[in-house]
Amino acid sequence: MTALRWIVLGLAALLMNLPVIATLATSLKPPAEIMGNPGLWVESPTLANYATVVTVSDRLDVWAYLGNSAAAATLGAALPLLLCLPLAFVAARRGYGRRLLLPLVVNLRALPLIIFAIPIYLMYQSAGLLDTRVGLGLVLAVVNLPLTALILLNAIADIPRELDEAAAMDGARTGRMIWRILVPALRPALATSFVFGFITAWNEFLFGLMLTTREAVPMTVGASFFFAGAGGGVQWGVAAAVIVVAMLPPVLLGLLMYRQIGQAMVAGAVKG
Amino acid sequence: MTPRARENRWLVAPAVAFLLLMLGFPTVLNVIYSLSDVSFETLRSPRLDGLGNYGEVLSDGAFWASLSFSLRFGALTAVAEVLLGLFLAVFLAPLLRRHPWLLAVLTLPMMIAPAMMGLMYRLMLHEFVGPLPHYLFLWFGSSPAFLSPAWAFWTIAAIEVLQWTPFTLLLFHLAYASIPGEVREAARMDGARAFRLFRRIELPMLLPTVLVALLIRLIDGIRVFDNIWVLVGAGAGGSTTSLPIYIYTAFFRGGPLGPALAASVLFALAAFATLALALRLAGRRAP
Amino acid sequence: MTRTTSLIALMALAFPLAAPAAAEVTVLGWPGGPEEAALRAAAEAYNARPETAEEDRVELLFTSRDGFFDKLAADLAAGSTAFDANLIATYSIGRYAPFMRPVDLGPQAAATFGDAVLSTMQFEGEQFGVPTDLSLHFLYVRRDLMDALLADPEAQATYTRIAQERLGEALAPKPPEDWTWRDWAAASLYFSQSVNPDSPTRYGTVLQMKNLLFNMMVFQSLPRAYGADWMDAEGNVTVDSEAYRTGLELYKLLYDAGATPPDSTSYEYAEANAAYASGQVASMVQWNAAAGELTSEETAPAVAAVTDTLPPPAGPEGRFTHVHSLGLGINAAAENPEGAERFLQWLATPEAMAVYARAGGAPGLAGDALAAVAADRPDLAQLGDYAVNYGYVMRGATGANALAVYERQAADFTGYWAGTSTLDEALASATEGMTELLAPPAQ
Repeated sequence: MTALRWIVLGLAALLMNLPVIATLATSLKPPAEIMGNPGLWVESPTLANYATVVTVSDRLDVWAYLGNSAAAATLGAALPLLLCLPLAFVAARRGYGRRLLLPLVVNLRALPLIIFAIPIYLMYQSAGLLDTRVGLGLVLAVVNLPLTALILLNAIADIPRELDEAAAMDGARTGRMIWRILVPALRPALATSFVFGFITAWNEFLFGLMLTTREAVPMTVGASFFFAGAGGGVQWGVAAAVIVVAMLPPVLLGLLMYRQIGQAMVAGAVKG
Repeated sequence: MTPRARENRWLVAPAVAFLLLMLGFPTVLNVIYSLSDVSFETLRSPRLDGLGNYGEVLSDGAFWASLSFSLRFGALTAVAEVLLGLFLAVFLAPLLRRHPWLLAVLTLPMMIAPAMMGLMYRLMLHEFVGPLPHYLFLWFGSSPAFLSPAWAFWTIAAIEVLQWTPFTLLLFHLAYASIPGEVREAARMDGARAFRLFRRIELPMLLPTVLVALLIRLIDGIRVFDNIWVLVGAGAGGSTTSLPIYIYTAFFRGGPLGPALAASVLFALAAFATLALALRLAGRRAP
Repeated sequence: MTRTTSLIALMALAFPLAAPAAAEVTVLGWPGGPEEAALRAAAEAYNARPETAEEDRVELLFTSRDGFFDKLAADLAAGSTAFDANLIATYSIGRYAPFMRPVDLGPQAAATFGDAVLSTMQFEGEQFGVPTDLSLHFLYVRRDLMDALLADPEAQATYTRIAQERLGEALAPKPPEDWTWRDWAAASLYFSQSVNPDSPTRYGTVLQMKNLLFNMMVFQSLPRAYGADWMDAEGNVTVDSEAYRTGLELYKLLYDAGATPPDSTSYEYAEANAAYASGQVASMVQWNAAAGELTSEETAPAVAAVTDTLPPPAGPEGRFTHVHSLGLGINAAAENPEGAERFLQWLATPEAMAVYARAGGAPGLAGDALAAVAADRPDLAQLGDYAVNYGYVMRGATGANALAVYERQAADFTGYWAGTSTLDEALASATEGMTELLAPPAQ
């Protein structure tokens, strides 16, 4: 039976990760081989594609894009924590906002946010936030509000009320109680929300495209700079290499935190 | 107002203020645009026009086609992801418990930006330079035309399912792992065999998770844009136009913007109603 | 408390404010590929000139190729000042003209490019940009396969039989230079294994049938050769015509017969090139930009040495290729429009175009300007020649809604090819859409 489980695991892992494997293989092939050898076994491996990606040129600067993404995604993942913590607290502990505010926030997840692209563009233009990391980060924060709110809401609901009541009896005011008592207990949930938010923010393309031009270009948009070959074609080798580079930060972050992700996701999911 | 009520307001104030700041003006503007005759040239001076755009959208066959596409796509992928995730989580539970690092490998697909995923699939599925057709030809002598009109929907659905099953897998793995050991022990002592144990005891305990997973993935499935757009665009004859793609193409077609925004407002209202209903039902279920 | 403050301070460091723009000319160019390399070379040469004033120095800006035109639309509509000059294309001038200002290219422009090429950057009688790169279509063909066919009488018999069976006409193989569209179809059928099991290639051709407006440009040279046009002189939409029907049916015939890969309904430029470069396709109608890639041993070793580039096949009304140009025009909200205009005027001179062409650009040059680069870029003569002799622009294709028309056609025609609608339905829908889009603005 165990052998069967291993086989199923292997198949599942292989099938689901097939694009990752293919991308890796392609990134190691020279252009001629990409056209000539469709197999996954690389005949003449080369690091030339990666060299192209990491070389800073007048036009392409992968380090700048990575930096921009890191800054904007950090803001986009951290800000929701600050905003949703008090919101989740009053909703979980006092039922305040459960009927209207909370569904409204969670519903944001269902909206195709491109409809806000033009109005936000106009707003940012007047506010001077176009092509800035702050501007992009703020929009990414909006994108992450729904899931963060949901995760924190359920995490708080999991913490026994007696804890707050004990703190209140010791004379602690609400703010201090949240900070001193709840936050430490919420560390897994906060970490999880941050990671999910970071990954989501990191992978955002449309707002990155519309709201930046030169200074604050994130990695998803910057990656597409590498794709283009002559006349509209795609240079597959370099494209594959840049996709691998672009996915490293969220993958590493996810790998470090997978345990935490799992734990808080359960609490979030089961309570609904 | 009691001190507590006042405190409540202060606590939600940051979130509310942020939302008003970021989305207040855009929402108002979008509603105005949806009721106006406006194009890229007249962005700053829309001309109010009444419900004409809504009428146009509701009578546009392509809108309903895209809605149908999105609903079918969302439902199919959500169900597939939940079934596969549940199966894998339960079947592989012993392995995952002993070697937690395996989860890392299984959740890798979620970490890639959908737009990039679509680009790599363009290469992977290409008849001449893609590994998939290559090996299929090698082993079976032929390979399906993955992106032809007959197959495109299924191919894209398969791609979506493969990328997001890890999400449900993780969800169910931990729900399953958090079932108290005593429950299982008790059932086993009563003589229950594995499958009966699962069906009678464990599955009911997993049911809330199943419902939430279905809901989340349904919403996400309806919302899919990047994957489809990069791979097949709107599709031959508009055959792979999901609702977001419909809105996107309507938006950037270079004519009046009103209809695109009317479509998004309609979609937003429908989504809100559905979600509010679902949350109310879930709320009734929770202790 | 101190930890939080330092954390906040650290975050603040990550967000420097954007520097104020220097007084210069910012040019938004077409990213990636030879156009970018050529523009860089030109900008460098311009900045190095002693006559170029300090405040007219050109700085280049490139954004993403994906979504480039959508983003450009948003930027222009919002009156962005991030660039003074930007890329435009013949088919989108109408769309962007409201946000751009006409430009005076100076006295040398007409001699450098010729009137035909200059007109690709005109809208409603005004010049809106300098045409820096010409785009048209070649017929890429495997010379080795065609030579072998022409030397083998048995193969020729098979060819004629297939032509009779599938096209109803007993055609004999001809050299590709003499092809009509019917010959091209016959050859495509012959070289497809699903029609001719002995064919050396799997497919006779590769059609780009993705629902994409650019694929319509590739397609429409075929109906044009039968006399098609978007509108007649009175302004009636004439897409439901014998010419269009012939063209659409020919593509469908080839698709259904298996003369093009079954995934062709999702193919555009990159996929078609990959198919041809694999060596399994006998001919292809494709943009001229692919010539570099497909004739280079490094990127297409299987076919580079045996590929010829010819003008598209001919029809009863002649030989045609769609032609458009990419160019640079001036943003109406530019901060330094005069400086931008000076740069564009310099670009329209033979010296500038020589730099541009040598660095990889593909301008349509005439007279002395062409002679100056003929040695380095012999292909430019071919380009210019085809543009002048075979180039056409559909009536209405430079209008404000040209892009929308292409998009409408793409949706309708690909639907027919994919089998989701009949020919009559597709043409009716196209006529309806085009009539609305091409209607003269209400007075």
